Amino acid sequence: MDRNQLTKWIKSPGNMGHKYSLDVVYFCTGCGIIEIPPSITARWDAERFGVKPVATPRQANLFLITGYVSVKTLKAVIRTYEQMQEPKFAVGFGSCPINGGMYWDSYNTVNHLDKYIPIDGWIAGCMPRPEAIFIAVTHLWTLIDKEIADGYKRYRDKYKYYRANQEKVLGELEWPPLFPEDDKK
Amino acid sequence: MRELELYFGPQHLGMVGNFSITLNVEGDRIIKAASNPGYLHRGFEKLMEYRTWIQNFTLVCRINVIEPDSMELMYSMAVEDLAGIEVPERAEYIRSIYLELARIGSHLFGLWAYANMLGFDTVANWAMYHRDLILDLFEEITGARVYHMYIWPGGVRRDFPKGLKGRIVKTLHKIGSGVPDYDDTFFNSRLFYDRAKNVGTVTRKQALEMGAVGQVLRATGMKYDIRKIEPYAAYDKVDWAIPTREDGDAYSRIWVVRDEMIESVHMIFKLLDDMPDGSVYNRIPNPFKWKVPAGETYVRCESSRGELGLYMASNGGDKPYRVHFNTPSYSHGLTILEEVLKGESIADVGNIMMSLYIVAPEIDR
Amino acid sequence: MNQELKKKINSSFPSAKISLPNESRVVIEVNRDAIISVLSFLKNMGYEHLSMVSCVDWIKEDEFELIYFLNAYMENDEEYGEIEKSTILLKTMISRKEAKYITAIGIFASAEPYEREIHELFGIYFEGHPRLTHLLLERDYEIPPFRKDFDTRKYVKEFYEEIPFVEDREEGKE
Repeated sequence: MDRNQLTKWIKSPGNMGHKYSLDVVYFCTGCGIIEIPPSITARWDAERFGVKPVATPRQANLFLITGYVSVKTLKAVIRTYEQMQEPKFAVGFGSCPINGGMYWDSYNTVNHLDKYIPIDGWIAGCMPRPEAIFIAVTHLWTLIDKEIADGYKRYRDKYKYYRANQEKVLGELEWPPLFPEDDKK
Repeated sequence: MRELELYFGPQHLGMVGNFSITLNVEGDRIIKAASNPGYLHRGFEKLMEYRTWIQNFTLVCRINVIEPDSMELMYSMAVEDLAGIEVPERAEYIRSIYLELARIGSHLFGLWAYANMLGFDTVANWAMYHRDLILDLFEEITGARVYHMYIWPGGVRRDFPKGLKGRIVKTLHKIGSGVPDYDDTFFNSRLFYDRAKNVGTVTRKQALEMGAVGQVLRATGMKYDIRKIEPYAAYDKVDWAIPTREDGDAYSRIWVVRDEMIESVHMIFKLLDDMPDGSVYNRIPNPFKWKVPAGETYVRCESSRGELGLYMASNGGDKPYRVHFNTPSYSHGLTILEEVLKGESIADVGNIMMSLYIVAPEIDR
Repeated sequence: MNQELKKKINSSFPSAKISLPNESRVVIEVNRDAIISVLSFLKNMGYEHLSMVSCVDWIKEDEFELIYFLNAYMENDEEYGEIEKSTILLKTMISRKEAKYITAIGIFASAEPYEREIHELFGIYFEGHPRLTHLLLERDYEIPPFRKDFDTRKYVKEFYEEIPFVEDREEGKE
């Protein structure tokens, strides 16, 4: 654990605040969800790390994308991600969001999830064990400390490129842009 | 009152799995429900046409994450049938023990989801912990917690490790010692009775009309179980009973699940005692040059959610020509759910869904 | 049991080809006009559980094969009889060029999602089906994806792989 907690608290209280209370969106995107219930219940107990599931994306700041993302799910993933409040972090869970995994040649799953939304970290494996989630969480802490976990900033800056990719797969999107072009000026 | 359209899922606290239902509601009453699957569609059956017979063996288990083992069994049985491979007797026993362990694990997962849905957090935590103990056994047998890839054409991948029998018995005794606690806090509790009795009732007539299988049918009193009707593995070698209930509502279905878990535990004890010695697999041909003779087959088994079938056609090549899984959640989730939700309240959607034990990846494939 | 069934079907439908691959499977091949009447005949015989409707694309023969899987529920709740052991595979061929067929919902209510799925994945139109909307897919594909002439590997290469990474887009590589 950090030895100089106090200086960190004084220097960046915001970062310290949200890094120890990572609230996960309750969204079962794929088969990786099977390892989430063990992690949040008595035996593995993710709440030791301040991780707990919450009901709506508006209360959450961590999005675990658990497993393959089919085209239909991609739409829901984007909408959920856009509803979350900043600062927010997205972590890809399992091999499939990284490069397609088992389903690299499936016509209905997207291969590289980071083409559509920004990802702060990956947990590789099929299926990753609950320990892997906790290692990822502790690793995410260091990323937050160093301010490298800046996916939401990247999303803001490069929104038009992300949106272009999203529209390529999903066609015309039914909702208005999250960051309209005029806002930036 | 005004009629509203309400989207239930896929991101919803009352939804286990990536699935959504469009509800037409008037106040709290549901007038019409339309299931909306497809969030997990990967086109498995298409992908399998592109992979060799041995590659498919690692792919099939991923169709259903909650109980991958019955999918492996289905694939193995179909290939054995087409290629004419025999399975040694010891492997049959291992398969049965293993599948029953998987059934208990799957039911405990269902119990977690169901108890969570009703707000019984303590019971949910117990169920998940007990399931984890079974996952530990799986880890010892196969090296993986979730996707085991253990049952393959010709038998099973390897024999049980030394001394595993004692550890299985110990684990099952540990889980079994929790049964009185489960009964006191959950199954005999008045809260559970009030929430589940006469909710989501599937009558015998509806069940037969809409193709119900598994505990949905057994909760209406019919002892319909493929393990007895068309025995596979070692299910015909030992004596066991099928628990049933009469009323067909959510309460009966969950009780059937509870009784089934206990019956499975007893069955495992009997199977462990009777287990013969010998080899655990028959050699299959060189997997790189393996061609399965042309033909077609349909095999079925009883998974933890009901009858599971597999149609497989081969044209004599190194890959399957057509594969089609007939999964129990399909008719439960798309036909029965829509019918049963009519007239119920919004708060009971998760309750009914989990008591029907609908597993979304199995529908979408 | 199955021999008796074979005789009964043969007497009512002389054109049906029946084979018994093993003691618990019955394969019946009929021509496309007879399916509905054979289905209702079998339902009256006690095979009232339509467990699946499947489709095979025989591209060389230029035909789709529709397969209806029928099982029987138990007659007696407690005892096991002969009838529920057998599975009937009822088959028919329809032309690939004119992929149209009649729905079986009138006889079996559980056929609804299966036919919807076949319509979506194979592009076979079922006349009389109340909602042939999207079931599993979100996007439209030029060729329905489960047909044999749809190459999923080629499709992934040409579609998903061509989408640039955001960094590449930014640098204008596109």
